[in-house]
Amino acid sequence: MMRSVTITRRNLMLGTAALGLALGPVRAQAGLPLVPHRTDLAALGHRPGKPGGTVRMLIGSARDVRLIPIISYARLVGYDDQLTLAPDILESCTVEEERIFTLRLREGHRWSDGSELTSEDFRYCWEDVWLNKELHPSGPVVELLHDGNLPRFEVLDRLTVRFAWGGPKPDFLPALAAASPVRMLLPAAYMRQFHARYQDPAKLDELIRKNRVKDWVSLHQRLSRQTRPENPDLPTLEAWMPRTAPPAEQFVFERNPYFHRIDENGVQLPYLDRIVLNVSSADIIPAKTGAGESDLQFLGLDFSDYTFIKGAEKRFPIRVSLWKRIQGSRMSLLPNLNCNDPVWRGLFRDARVRRALSVAINRREINMAVFYGLAAESADTVLPESPLYKPEYATAWAAWNVARANRLLDEAGLEARDADGFRLLPDGRMAQIVVETAGESTLETDVLELVADHWRQIGISLLTRATQRDLFRARGMSGDVMVAVWQGMDNGVPTPDMSPAALAPTSDDQMQWPLWGLYYLDKGAKGEAPDLPEVQELVALYTAWRQSTSTAQRRDIWQRMLEIHADQVFSIGIVNGALQPVVSARALQNVPQAGLFGYEPQSYLGVYRPDTFWYDPEAAS
Amino acid sequence: MTGPLPDPGAPLPHYVSDAPFDPNVIENRVIGRTDLAQASQKKLMWWKFKRHRLALISGVFLAICYVAIVFAEFLAPYGLQTRNVENIYAPPQAVHLFHDGSFVGPFVYGRTMELDMENLRRVYTDRTDLVQPLRFFCHGDSYRFWGMVEGSLHLVCPPENGNFNLLGTDRLGRDVLSRILYGARISLTIGILGVATSFVLGIVIGGLAGYYGGWVDLVVQRMIEVLQSIPSIPLWLALAAIMPVTWSPLVVYAGITVILGLLDWTGLARAVRSKLLSLREEDYVLAAQILGASSPRVIGRHLIPGFMSHLIASATLTIPGMILGETALSFLGLGLRPPITSWGILLTEARSVNVIALYPWLLAPVVPVVLVILAFNFLGDGLRDAADPMR
Repeated sequence: MMRSVTITRRNLMLGTAALGLALGPVRAQAGLPLVPHRTDLAALGHRPGKPGGTVRMLIGSARDVRLIPIISYARLVGYDDQLTLAPDILESCTVEEERIFTLRLREGHRWSDGSELTSEDFRYCWEDVWLNKELHPSGPVVELLHDGNLPRFEVLDRLTVRFAWGGPKPDFLPALAAASPVRMLLPAAYMRQFHARYQDPAKLDELIRKNRVKDWVSLHQRLSRQTRPENPDLPTLEAWMPRTAPPAEQFVFERNPYFHRIDENGVQLPYLDRIVLNVSSADIIPAKTGAGESDLQFLGLDFSDYTFIKGAEKRFPIRVSLWKRIQGSRMSLLPNLNCNDPVWRGLFRDARVRRALSVAINRREINMAVFYGLAAESADTVLPESPLYKPEYATAWAAWNVARANRLLDEAGLEARDADGFRLLPDGRMAQIVVETAGESTLETDVLELVADHWRQIGISLLTRATQRDLFRARGMSGDVMVAVWQGMDNGVPTPDMSPAALAPTSDDQMQWPLWGLYYLDKGAKGEAPDLPEVQELVALYTAWRQSTSTAQRRDIWQRMLEIHADQVFSIGIVNGALQPVVSARALQNVPQAGLFGYEPQSYLGVYRPDTFWYDPEAAS
Repeated sequence: MTGPLPDPGAPLPHYVSDAPFDPNVIENRVIGRTDLAQASQKKLMWWKFKRHRLALISGVFLAICYVAIVFAEFLAPYGLQTRNVENIYAPPQAVHLFHDGSFVGPFVYGRTMELDMENLRRVYTDRTDLVQPLRFFCHGDSYRFWGMVEGSLHLVCPPENGNFNLLGTDRLGRDVLSRILYGARISLTIGILGVATSFVLGIVIGGLAGYYGGWVDLVVQRMIEVLQSIPSIPLWLALAAIMPVTWSPLVVYAGITVILGLLDWTGLARAVRSKLLSLREEDYVLAAQILGASSPRVIGRHLIPGFMSHLIASATLTIPGMILGETALSFLGLGLRPPITSWGILLTEARSVNVIALYPWLLAPVVPVVLVILAFNFLGDGLRDAADPMR
């Protein structure tokens, strides 16, 4: 489905600058940069279209307006559908020694309010926001630091800036291309009125009162939010700009008249005039989609809804296709290595126990029962589409073998059993594992029911507890969760140049080691330092990746990290490559009928370019 | 009769009639039926109740239900947790008697399952050449009767190498009929146990308030008012949420019963109190007190029996509320939890649009819920009419 992908960073220098030259002198079109980003639709398998039309989508809550910047996917540098990095908003981007990044904007590129996009916007974002002690008391995010040190920032000219770190920054460009990117640009002309440095205090107080916030910091934060476009006045570079401020039941996004991309005929993108998001209860999104109330829908749909929507194809002008989800595992069980119960903590830290729990699962049965056998039975690892894939990662400790699981548990010191055949812990309690889910899908509870049967055969009792997502996170952090259910690796199709942060304890939302993740995230101030040698090695490898200078080096690091994961089973994967229904109106053109579906790096539909979707009335029938 | 009075001390003139005397003469003249006139209170109620046809039918129906849940393991063709991954989302199977015009006895046709990979559906087709007679009083899935006695005898078993799903199967290939039968055990008893809890609480608290009156009455009345002013569903939710997940499902079941009972006694307590307030002024109570009976004895032996029939009728009317309460709690995911199965749990699993559009037989548990609730309401209605001496 996907060709293997390698990114050579040197290519980036060329980018669209060369393309612009090839076109010869470009007549500056109203609303377009002098050198727009020209999309080769044919290369995407798309065909050029006509502007106009409205797309309706359904969202589960008002917070889901964040979907639009994700699928609009205008980034400084972005991935294409083959996951090659290329400049997008930037005209060019040069990288020297993996540490000096020179970013050049497009001449004549404007924000959606018509103000010019210049290096001042970079400077404002860097100096007045990231480095402001009030807005960011602990300084910029780790993606902008090298070994804890700030880069040297220079404004070279009206359109060019340079970030230079003391050492290699391989995660900088991927962070810019992410579904939720690191913020580098803010519309300085608009935002200055909310900044204490530029606004006079009396006027600022008035604005604070008017917006009902407590100080200018929250005022600035609230009005500058780009990933959740709730401020219709905030100029944007995305393809569609918000026209509705919450609270609302319907959110309208209109096409940005200054968007920087054109199709091969010189027609400015996006084709679609308007996107209308309707808020409805998450439970009835499948029903509404099946009733033709959405023109483009993937959020809120699950594999089990496919049959129903497929039936609705006959009644409404919609079509449904199945995309392949990129998670390392559709659902994985994460034994909490930081759990409060000292006995279980000791057991979960024993690799034999984790392996036993994994090989006790009959993945074939789960695949047939829940996924029509269409998913792949696999450990939680990269998918075959990734250039890093090796079959042995997928098969490691993933083959159903009850005898082996029993043997492993016996070796781990759990030989004793009670009258019902359940194993006994060293302190005499019954071996009962409470598995917690965020309670968002019946899929999880169904699979857990099957797993409970499988584990019963090895003398382990499984209880399920469904909580709420926020509570689930909090309980994970406090060590109350024994085993959590979550998706596997978010990005199952990584290239060596993408960050392997998910494989090492780097964040407190990693439910297998929340305290170790917190330790890294808070630079050692909170949490605990990892004390398992394998995890320490993962941390060391991740640090090495962040210092690496070549793709070959990064590939080796990735392979070693994947090997450790395969062998240690920190996350018990079940199946991956599960399918995701994507519904679109039949008249909507250029919507791929197959693709990889994921948040990172695909940004859902982002890399398949929704700005090129258009309505062909002739195709409606 | 005129004439002067006899002298003081002289006997009064009188005579004794020797005509035959019928002590029931008035009853006979008024109704014409001695048995009715002499019937006890219970008998009167039973006669009155019998005339309420719907109530009678409901009573019989409920009696059958409660007998059935005692033998759920025996009646259900499959075990509660028996899964068959080869038989997921199978539609209900029809039971036939005749094959090719000749009588075979109850049988089902064998089925083949094909995966429709275009629509991702499991398509089941009856194979009319494959006659699979049902087996009766046979050995099938093994179970522990009431969690104690090992057994495997079933009323009806699936045919050899075949399936028998009278109401279809769910998403893990579990038999819906069997699950409804097992669920009935929980859903039906939770109402009875809940009412028992609230009965005890209502009689004790209401009895104290009514008998003693004064400040006891005042405190109880205010307490009841506070309890009644709290919306019940959020309170159930809060109480249900504090039950730890590690409790065994059976304890959770008991907990839910207590929660339902704890919140439902207030109405009953009020009824008891008002009845007692009037009854305690009766002479026979005074007599009992003078004879030295203790308060519990006066309440329990002399006052409560006076309106027990009324209490039973009103309790019957609260059972459906309990059953619905359990169903609502479980439906919201805060009541019982699998592997305990109640009708509420079965309905929770059937609330997506897919079920309504593609697998409607999973909504079957609605039918028993509706029938039982209706039956309890009719029964309570009949009992109340029967217990009411005014009619």
